[in-house]
Amino acid sequence: MSWDSLGKGGRWAVGLLLAVALLLAGAVAAGSVAAAELEEVVARGELIWAADQEGGGPHVFLDPKNPSQLTGFEVELAELLAAELGVKARFQQGQWDRLPLLLGRTADCVINGIELTPGRQRDYRCSRPYFAYALQLVARRDAPLTSFERLESLGPHGRWRVGVLTGSAAEILMRGRAGLEVDVVGYDGTVDCLEQVTTGVLDATVLDDCIASFYADRFPRLRAVDRPQAGGFYTILTPPDTPHLSAKIDEALGRLLTDGRLKQLYDSWDLAGRQQVLLLRDADEIPPAPRDSWGHLLRSALPLLLSAAGMTVLLSAASFPLAILIGLAVAIGRLYGPPLLRPLLAGYVEVLRGTPLMLQLYALFFLLPKIGLALPALAAAIIGLALNYSAYESEIYRAGLKAVPGGQFEAALALGMTKWQALRHVIVPQAVRIVMPPVTSDFIALFKDTSVCSAITVIELTKRYSVLALSTGRIVELAVVTALLYLAMSWPMALVSRWLERRLERTGAARQP
Amino acid sequence: MITVESVAAFRAGVRVLEDVSLNVPAGTVTTLVGPSGSGKSTLLRCLNGLETLAAGSVEIAGHRLTAGPQSPRRLELLRRDVGMVFQQFNLFPHLSVLDNVALPPRVIRQMPAAEARAQAQTLLERVGLAHLADVRPTALSGGQQQRVAIARSLAMEPRVMLFDEPTSALDPAMSGEVLEVILGLARAGQTMVVVTHDHSFARRVATQVAELVAGRVVRQGTAAEVL
Ligand SMILES: Nc1ncnc2c1ncn2[C@@H]1O[C@H](COP(=O)(O)OP(=O)(O)OP(=O)(O)O)[C@@H](O)[C@H]1O
Ligand SMILES: [Mg+2]
Repeated sequence: MSWDSLGKGGRWAVGLLLAVALLLAGAVAAGSVAAAELEEVVARGELIWAADQEGGGPHVFLDPKNPSQLTGFEVELAELLAAELGVKARFQQGQWDRLPLLLGRTADCVINGIELTPGRQRDYRCSRPYFAYALQLVARRDAPLTSFERLESLGPHGRWRVGVLTGSAAEILMRGRAGLEVDVVGYDGTVDCLEQVTTGVLDATVLDDCIASFYADRFPRLRAVDRPQAGGFYTILTPPDTPHLSAKIDEALGRLLTDGRLKQLYDSWDLAGRQQVLLLRDADEIPPAPRDSWGHLLRSALPLLLSAAGMTVLLSAASFPLAILIGLAVAIGRLYGPPLLRPLLAGYVEVLRGTPLMLQLYALFFLLPKIGLALPALAAAIIGLALNYSAYESEIYRAGLKAVPGGQFEAALALGMTKWQALRHVIVPQAVRIVMPPVTSDFIALFKDTSVCSAITVIELTKRYSVLALSTGRIVELAVVTALLYLAMSWPMALVSRWLERRLERTGAARQP
Repeated sequence: MITVESVAAFRAGVRVLEDVSLNVPAGTVTTLVGPSGSGKSTLLRCLNGLETLAAGSVEIAGHRLTAGPQSPRRLELLRRDVGMVFQQFNLFPHLSVLDNVALPPRVIRQMPAAEARAQAQTLLERVGLAHLADVRPTALSGGQQQRVAIARSLAMEPRVMLFDEPTSALDPAMSGEVLEVILGLARAGQTMVVVTHDHSFARRVATQVAELVAGRVVRQGTAAEVL
């Protein structure tokens, strides 16, 4: 059996299997990579610490006065710690909820408001606490949300919409607390949450109290509601197999705590240093969570992964037909429309092709509400995908329309058809057949691009996988399940595309009487 | 049925018709002859508004074209009464033979599909192709395709039929069947203008022959006089 004889669908399936195999191999290999131990850090002369500057202040953020400069209390803490180890500190950027994945690869440790939880105790080495936080509910000043208890009954528009940082203790609190009439929406940044509360997309957000006070000036229309709720401690994460490095970090933290330098640091950031240091002195270690059995994990994870897969299907199935319709309309407009319209449509295509899908989704979801047009995340995702792909589809259709011989249009006109009748009954049906293969392969591309929608809080399969993998520590096992789910979805798609191609060949080729 | 008066036309900025006048009475057949590039196709295309007149006027099947661009609506109405058959057939490859013939009245006159298909079946019988109704046009020989193209034009029941070298893309063996169909139409009294290089056919079918040279009508008369 040759590569070509497999057909397009077959090649796609083989490609996917290969990808699964590579993913597995990669995951297994990653597990066996020796983490950078203390000796290596010392030899290198650098402690590489990971954080997300998008996470915002006061932890790690770009200095507004000097935007090329990283600042924040954790930046200074990292420098103090590195100095204690006799090395320099080097920053490594990562997306907050995936920072632990960098451990042992591109980072020695994670210092970024990581809450000490039983799950993290189980999966990583957690340092002694270095900061005490509490969770604060924040809402608009003019909102009817006046206390945390108010979340236990329906709001004026039904269930309350509350934004949280994905993977944070705030998310665990809001999803886990019984009796709340709340839809929890996960974001990649706390500042995004605050923005969305201001524009009214969210009713409220729950975040660490230090963040709430840090941004109080920037968001004057918001206010802290009620006293802070449950709290806990931040910890520094190091890889599981680095006993020496983590011991050294604990020692260093101890020295900073006792000799007053930590208090001084927190005071300079207005973080109530004395109180912090008192709390940290008698912080108890949190015991590690037991590891879920494989069967139990599958029972709890599979329904979540399946519904996320449903979201992936919904996103592709809803946005692609739209993309085709818009793309076809744009292509027809550019070739046959009024001359004044043509440059506008060309501009539409270039803008959408020339900017990343991520940026377009971001604009639809985060910027439109600022001019009073708040789209639900799912609508923004579907519209964003449809608009982005409509630009590519329109180029395909333009080529397809041009590939229909000119005599066809003339013959239709000569019969007395209007321009639109000729397009509708003669030109477009032929163009559609011509472009079938590139359009099907674009559908598969869009199917995979749906994962970008997680940037605007839509939880599809890839996002659900990464959240689950990090919270359970079963990175490899869940990767296999996720890959199988993708395969189960793409397989029928490959079959349909092959069927379409065969049909196309039949209608295109000569059929004997 | 057709009156052409002092028509001039340009193609790609070059004058290809100059002061052409021609009269085609109802129920007669005019053939256009002349060397390659003399403007025969251009004149034919002027008759159904596929080319814009630079000067002069055309009256055809009760419609009138004058110099300069014409409104799309006017052209559509004219073309419904003036059928045209091309050298390259230009059948619609995505439709069956029957649907090629049924499409124009269905789309343009909103004829019910069943009626349009019944009419198409009758027309295919008339050109001798009823047995190939469900085949794709690409599966037909050139002569068969051209006969389908004629049937497709007839589906609009045009008052005038224009033919632009209907057999020059066919080998001689297949030309005969197409020419027979055209002769049949002539006998039935269809008003036609036929561009052809085939003088013997011109002699058989023409009431009148006009010869073009370099964009002008140089001779006009019966076949015996001109050829
Ligand atoms: N699409 C076009 N663009 C530019 N010039 C054209 C075009 N079609 C025809 N011409 C020119 O117009 C002139 C007349 O062409 P036309 O096709 O009317 O001649 P014809 O008598 O039909 O010739 P033939 O017997 O070769 O079909 C020729 O000089 C030709 O080169
Ligand atoms: Mg010609």
